[in-house]
Amino acid sequence: MINALRAELLKMRTMPGVWVTFGLAFPLTVLIVLAVLAGAGGFPGHTFYYVSSVSQRRQLLGAGYFGIEVLAPIIGLLCITSEYRQKTITTSLVLVPVRTRVLLAKVIATAVWCIFVALLGLVAVAAVALPWNAALGGVTTQVTDQIGAVVPGLLASAVLLGLFGLGFGTLVKNQVAAILLTIGGTLILEGILIALAKAIFHYDLNWLPNGAGAALAGDIARGFGGGNGHDGIKLLAWWQGGLVLLAWGLGPLTLGYFTTFRRDVT
Amino acid sequence: MTAGATIRGLPIEIRGLSKHFGPVVAVDDLSFTVEPGRVTGFLGPNGSGKTTTLRMLLGLVHPSAGTATIAGRHYQDLENPTSSVGAVLEATSFHPARRARTHLRMAARAGGHDEKRADEVLGLVGLTGDAKRKIGGFSMGMRQRLELATALIGDPDVLILDEPSNGLDPQGIAWLRDFMRYLASEGRTVLVSSHLLSEMAQTIDNAVIVSFGQLKAQGTLDEITAGMTGVAMRARTPEADRLAGVLTQAGIAFRRLTHDEVVMDGVTPEQVGPLLASNQIVLYELAQEGGDLESVFLSLTAGLGFGEVGAP
Repeated sequence: MINALRAELLKMRTMPGVWVTFGLAFPLTVLIVLAVLAGAGGFPGHTFYYVSSVSQRRQLLGAGYFGIEVLAPIIGLLCITSEYRQKTITTSLVLVPVRTRVLLAKVIATAVWCIFVALLGLVAVAAVALPWNAALGGVTTQVTDQIGAVVPGLLASAVLLGLFGLGFGTLVKNQVAAILLTIGGTLILEGILIALAKAIFHYDLNWLPNGAGAALAGDIARGFGGGNGHDGIKLLAWWQGGLVLLAWGLGPLTLGYFTTFRRDVT
Repeated sequence: MTAGATIRGLPIEIRGLSKHFGPVVAVDDLSFTVEPGRVTGFLGPNGSGKTTTLRMLLGLVHPSAGTATIAGRHYQDLENPTSSVGAVLEATSFHPARRARTHLRMAARAGGHDEKRADEVLGLVGLTGDAKRKIGGFSMGMRQRLELATALIGDPDVLILDEPSNGLDPQGIAWLRDFMRYLASEGRTVLVSSHLLSEMAQTIDNAVIVSFGQLKAQGTLDEITAGMTGVAMRARTPEADRLAGVLTQAGIAFRRLTHDEVVMDGVTPEQVGPLLASNQIVLYELAQEGGDLESVFLSLTAGLGFGEVGAP
């Protein structure tokens, strides 16, 4: 198992797409930092203002979540769909012929790289957001006090969203289609469905992947109303969000294993 | 087997192997054995089930019936598969952005081997100078060599090669032939599928011939060609009339082609040579016809030419 995992980690390290996601993690986080500091003082009035409320402080600390939301599923997708796109699945399964072992190694490798993306977001926060917030008059320790509330959920979301991407990629082997469907589904379709459910049925559609991820990540997910939704939807409890997101990952992964991954490689 | 070679290979056993893709029968009750220390050619027209058989042997395709084992065990049940078996299946199984050495390091890691082995096998296949190049820029021949290097990463006892000479230039083919002979001389089991029969005839010790997914012949080249009823000897002689009399007396069927050419059916050089010598018949030429691998192959596979589809 360790051998298979080491091979998967090296494979992902030498995949250009993975480095593209890394390259995007930092600027996406900075973009959210910009939005959080711009919104901290309220519009109009201040261009940028330091964060003060608990919710704002958590949003600033968890600014990397947006990057995770977008990039973690892509990392999971790349891990599996590149095998089919480049036809390397044949070599992979000859080198490690026990397929459950290959898939498990991919799950762990995806988790590791998704945690790296999450950590990169935290680095961006430390390098840009905290000094900037301090320069605006904010107290850094008031932000870092929220590490315990934010970081575990952030990392767990990264892992489970990566698992979701991996599971979806196991089902939809075509890389381009899988990426378009995942990004389109989570960033566009999910938002539309949430809005429609709220408007028509007054129902909080909070169990879709990003909603579940937002719940797990706590008060940091923008656009979901920070947990009790004055302008968004009421999120699940963090542990409920975690379980739902785990189901979103394991469901497609299990289905993909039995319908696609176990099939003949001709 | 080369004299003095230590047996380090493992036997491959195919027993009653079948594979159906829906209504299409790709492999039909196939049984044969591949012995260590020899190069065994797995021959058949395109679509005759060779690749499917090799993929079933490697656990990539699930058999509909029967078993394909290495030393009595399924590939995926071997304790350390890549130390036992190395496989060359297709020269396109590479990530183009990966460097040759990185690809081999990945293979070494997956098999639990020392990553230094990557440089060793690059040297074995003559790609040391290209170790840091991205595979996307490799020619087909270089990819074949890299695929072979991947197969050798665990220093395996069994080599399974599916059309390994595809894309190789004549020098590459000659190199591959020598390399396979060298591996077999070390006692390894070498099973190689190919449609390049003239090349195979110079390389292999044994042959397994399949058509429409069924076994047509198995054995050493001599055994296979000797068993053919289509084997004939052609003689050119100024004493064709006297030769005809000798052949009639010996009970050998023959045909007169021209005034000085006679074809003797169903005989081998070992049978006809002494007969002509004892009767002191002058010969300008004595040649075997129809007993070469290609003739045997065409006969056994119902005349299906290379590149034609042998099965639906």
